[in-house]
Amino acid sequence: MKKKVLTVDDSRTIRNMLLVTLNNAGFETIQAEDGVEGLEVLEGCNPDVIVTDINMPRLDGFGFIEGVRRNEKYRAIPILVLTTESDAEKKNRARQAGATGWIVKPFDPAKLIDAIERVTA
Amino acid sequence: MDMNEIKEIFFQECEEQLAELESGLLKLNDGDRDPETVNAVFRAVHSIKGGAGAFGLDDLVSFAHVFETTLDCVRSNKLEPNQDVLKVMLKSADVLADLVTASRDGGSVDESRSRGLVKELEALAKGEMPSGGAAEAPKAAPVAAAAPAATDDSGFQPIPFSFDDDFGGDDAAKSVFEVTFKPRRDLFAKGNEAALLLRDLSRLGEMAINCDTEALPALDKIDPEETYFSWTISVTTDKTEQDVRAVFEFAEWDCDLEVSEVAAEAAEELPMVPVPFDLSALDDEPAAAPAPTPVAEVPVDTKMAAAAARVEKKEAAAAPAAAAAANNAAAAANAAGQTIRVDLDRVDRLINLVGELVINQAMLSQSVVENDTNGTSSINMGLEELQQLTREIQDSVMAIRAQPVKPVFQRMSRIVREVADMVGKSIRLVTEGENTEVDKTVIDKIAEPLTHMIRNAVDHGIESPEKREAAGKDPEGTIKLSAKHRSGRILIELIDDGGGINRERVKQKAIDNDLISPDANLSDEEIDNLIFAPGFSTADKISDISGRGVGMDVVKRSIQALGGRISISSRPGLGSTFTMSLPLTLAVLDGMVVTVAGQTLVVPLTAIVETLQPEASSIHSFGANQRLISIRNSFCPLVDVGRILNFRSTQANPVEGVALLVESEGGGQRALMVDAIQGQRQVVIKSLEANYTHVPGIAAATILGDGRVALILDVDAVVAASRGQSMKQDGALKADMSLAAAG
Amino acid sequence: MASKKADKGSLKLVPVLDLNEASVLHGQLTSMRGEDVKIDASEVERVGVQCVQVLLAAAKTWEADSKNFVFEKVSEAFEKTMQLIGINIDHLLAKEIRQ
Repeated sequence: MKKKVLTVDDSRTIRNMLLVTLNNAGFETIQAEDGVEGLEVLEGCNPDVIVTDINMPRLDGFGFIEGVRRNEKYRAIPILVLTTESDAEKKNRARQAGATGWIVKPFDPAKLIDAIERVTA
Repeated sequence: MDMNEIKEIFFQECEEQLAELESGLLKLNDGDRDPETVNAVFRAVHSIKGGAGAFGLDDLVSFAHVFETTLDCVRSNKLEPNQDVLKVMLKSADVLADLVTASRDGGSVDESRSRGLVKELEALAKGEMPSGGAAEAPKAAPVAAAAPAATDDSGFQPIPFSFDDDFGGDDAAKSVFEVTFKPRRDLFAKGNEAALLLRDLSRLGEMAINCDTEALPALDKIDPEETYFSWTISVTTDKTEQDVRAVFEFAEWDCDLEVSEVAAEAAEELPMVPVPFDLSALDDEPAAAPAPTPVAEVPVDTKMAAAAARVEKKEAAAAPAAAAAANNAAAAANAAGQTIRVDLDRVDRLINLVGELVINQAMLSQSVVENDTNGTSSINMGLEELQQLTREIQDSVMAIRAQPVKPVFQRMSRIVREVADMVGKSIRLVTEGENTEVDKTVIDKIAEPLTHMIRNAVDHGIESPEKREAAGKDPEGTIKLSAKHRSGRILIELIDDGGGINRERVKQKAIDNDLISPDANLSDEEIDNLIFAPGFSTADKISDISGRGVGMDVVKRSIQALGGRISISSRPGLGSTFTMSLPLTLAVLDGMVVTVAGQTLVVPLTAIVETLQPEASSIHSFGANQRLISIRNSFCPLVDVGRILNFRSTQANPVEGVALLVESEGGGQRALMVDAIQGQRQVVIKSLEANYTHVPGIAAATILGDGRVALILDVDAVVAASRGQSMKQDGALKADMSLAAAG
Repeated sequence: MASKKADKGSLKLVPVLDLNEASVLHGQLTSMRGEDVKIDASEVERVGVQCVQVLLAAAKTWEADSKNFVFEKVSEAFEKTMQLIGINIDHLLAKEIRQ
């Protein structure tokens, strides 16, 4: 079974990089452009792992993570935060919102795949 | 999709983010304090930084980082975005744009400027208010050397070399770590899983484990989501303590964790169950793993180990298959977007084809009308519908190319800032109707004349702050740039609240430059329009800003080359208004179809001021071949189009034809003589240059409803030729020919 | 659904036993209290620590009740995870599959 990854990021550049990286690594990739779309897409795609950005319009990463964790059906899905924020405060906020782990940008395909492997069976 | 394509996307996105950034900052500048505006501004810089990092564009990253940090202060209400702060931010946005351009196209940025801004931004982030003065020379240089120079000339890249990797092997010194791990409920609630952490730990080396299940209550007492287990693990590995701890990187807040290195012998004594982590090790040496007596009194059995190994084998086999199917998923995931990017050439091809369709439909209609005596036949009705549909298709296709003028307007705000800074003026640019759409070619071509006009307005239009104060005005000048649609054209207005045209001086300049005679009696409007005359410049000293030798005449020429018009109205002491009217597209043209010496020509409607039927009494001879026509008490040179284009060898009798009063370059009027007017119609422009060759005096061609080719007159060239200039000397005509290229 | 009751006293575990399934499994087992139970873990692909806790708590409870609690079939993934997290269920395995 191919692992399914939901990515949520408003940057077209990053979305494309995620898509290429994840597909090359043999994942099935579903993409959303912000938190609101992320929560919409979540219903019905049941991913193995979610990778999300923090700074996004409409609903940011913190709000999105909280939304997933409140969802009866999907609350157990591991969520990785993809962000350039390396400082402790932002990490902390993401953790408090319910993030499983994080990947500090700049975007490094190996780091991403490694982090996904770590939080998925 | 490869990395280069993604990089291309990145730069496209940068453009969008920069536009977003600038419009957000301008909104803040206008007093907008909506948190979403600040967020959008922050996100724009953040997003550029994120992408730049992925492509190793370090200069861009470091500048964006400093900028972002300061914006974050605004976002968290630590820094009030007042005018002074925003001034720094707008300048930073400009530098960011320069860095993006330098990263994309090579070239360098003004490093002292970017370093200065880094200082200013850092000062703002620290809570220091801007000094307002120029940036002092910085000590540190966070913005490194220009991007394109970053790669070594030799092409060599240092490769990190590790002895450990190559010679370490099994002989490398192994350490034994004792790990105690007690997860808390939150660890699971956040999507982490103790079993996965233990799996990763087992991958570090040889692992023996003891699970403490003492705390586990009976079924009726258990909270299914609470955690009761805790573990003591011994890991024998060549990795460091840091590597061991790294396994728990995501979980360390939600568990009790202790990691300590122990002496190898001590580890042997721990009562644990070894956990096999490597298939090959187990197959070859089933007894290799130390098997101390486990607390649970169950020896590790080889059957279980082998079973575990089989699972791993299966997983390994599945991987390539999964990778092979990846491309399909990519295609499916891509389909989610709401917009698509289309190569401009394809759109142009479509526009061209629709143009052909329009012509074809017109030809078909005409031949049906000519051959069909019964005007109410079903064919006729069908044709009418066809005509309607064709028009609709044409409009829709044109709309594909239509884009808002916003990007051009936004570029102008940067120019205002920079030029105002240079000349020591304080000027606000207000834009209006920036979402007004117009054909992309028109947008591309108005940027340059508009830039020139804006520079002019800042340099000459708006007075110095002292002068303004003395005149009782706000020391800060305002320039308003607006766009709107009006009767199938786009109207762009540039209004400044400066001193207006100094008519005395303009007139004197015109006299000095022999543009008018000293005793000429001109209306205010005529004087104002003198600034469009070739070679006219009002600035007493030519400044760097408005450009040397480039005057408003060039602006007017470029606007006219687009089939547009420009005019000025000015009120002394109150300011000037420049009004430009441009076609919405360059693919079609409203023209007057005329007959000249048996040929059908099209004259762009925009050039025609009025048409008149000359009377014998109004025609006056002047010199050998020159003739003038008197129109409302003024004389206007009469130009026989047929003679100029060599359609005929002698001049036609003006009384037998029609005169088209046209305005051309420099505001001069001419009466163009044609034999007859056939009518007005919209024609599809076909490039002569692309299909045939450049013909002096002719801008382009079109195909009429009856299938005949009609030439589109290049009014400026014809007027220039009438002044005695040779048609062959067509360097100046080139600009006009670009009009034809759109067809 | 953490499990399916094929017939009385028998429980078939679902492939993914994650955080969400812990409560479901807990409910299933609680309702089977007082009878001999055979667990079929042959289709388990993933099992989290919390479900293991519930299963072991049940085994403990069944032992106290002097009832049988037996893993009738186990998948490789299930066995592997147990081994990885240091839990020994050998004494709970049915005789036929016990080594």
